[in-house]
Amino acid sequence: MKDKKLIYFAPFVVMVVVALVLIFSTKSKNQGEAIYEARCANCHMENGKGLQSLIPPLANADYLNKYRGKLACIVKKGMEEKVIVNGVEYQQQMPANEEFTDTDIANVLNYVLTNWGNEEKPLSLQEVQEQLESCP
Amino acid sequence: MKLLKAFIFFTIILSACTPSGKNKLPILGQVADAQFEFLSQDSAVVTPQTFENKIYVTDFFFTTCPTICPTMKAQMLRVYEKFENNDNVILLSHTIDPQHDTVGLLRDYAGRLGINSDHWLMVTGDKKEIFDVAKKYMVSAMEDKDQPGGFVHSGAFVLIDKKKQIRGYYDGTKELETNELMDDIEVLLNEG
Ligand code: HEC
Repeated sequence: MKDKKLIYFAPFVVMVVVALVLIFSTKSKNQGEAIYEARCANCHMENGKGLQSLIPPLANADYLNKYRGKLACIVKKGMEEKVIVNGVEYQQQMPANEEFTDTDIANVLNYVLTNWGNEEKPLSLQEVQEQLESCP
Repeated sequence: MKLLKAFIFFTIILSACTPSGKNKLPILGQVADAQFEFLSQDSAVVTPQTFENKIYVTDFFFTTCPTICPTMKAQMLRVYEKFENNDNVILLSHTIDPQHDTVGLLRDYAGRLGINSDHWLMVTGDKKEIFDVAKKYMVSAMEDKDQPGGFVHSGAFVLIDKKKQIRGYYDGTKELETNELMDDIEVLLNEG
């Protein structure tokens, strides 16, 4: 008798577990993407392609690997210097994002580092914090 | 009854197949009385005469804009690439920050976009004149120190026909509206 009742409940339990897993996994997966769309895509474009020689690409950008240690500071403090990305020289202003938390910065960078064909190792929160401590 | 149903069915199918109304564009205003004298990225003088008998698309931006301008320029670039070889079509982008955006800066910006001034003019000039002409096109370009970059502006593309009549407004940050703009340019080209 008792066993039978349990069987009735089983589908509900399974559904709740699946729902919870979905909610949590999509939430953490999308946070970096949400920041990217809101704060970066207008310049670096939806697919990270950049814009001609005005705005450098993030998709398949050699810069991400070469200057991995500078990325957190670029997002936080912005950038305005000559940079060469994939052999093309860029010089425009990228605005600062002073209000970003360390987690925001880690999430958005990890979205960039692992999408559009990028296969860089994600940055840990600790790495991001270390970089931020020594921003120029 | 059956016949009636069949009739209704066919009229629906037929009306769905004919291109819906897009072979005529409304006249939304006109800019024939606008006077201006700007300088392009090549230091050429740009006046209403430059657009004599041309279809043109205009917008307002500034090179240091942190918000919508890069998206607008990416969309305008699609229009440029489509009509690059058509001498009846010109694109005209005004800076709304002429103090900063000098001819030299616009030349650099245009060069980085990879565009040719025959078909895409980037102009600077007297600030009041730029804002007055913006009013003529009915695009809001106003100074606002609270906005990122210090300016608000609408992000609109305005389509002007050969008679200097405004024939369409499009949100220059949206791919779909830019597609519509490109279709409408074709419509105007067919008007002759
Ligand atoms: C207003 C436009 C703009 C916005 C918004 C913007 N960037 Fe940039 N970004 C640039 C420009 C321009 C450069 C090149 C800077 C230079 O020339 O000094 C750049 C450079 C970079 C670089 C280093 C070069 C490269 O291509 O790898 C990274 C990484 C980067 N941006 C990431 C981001 C991220 C992440 C965001 C969102 C949080 C963002 N950017 C938002 C314009 C922008």
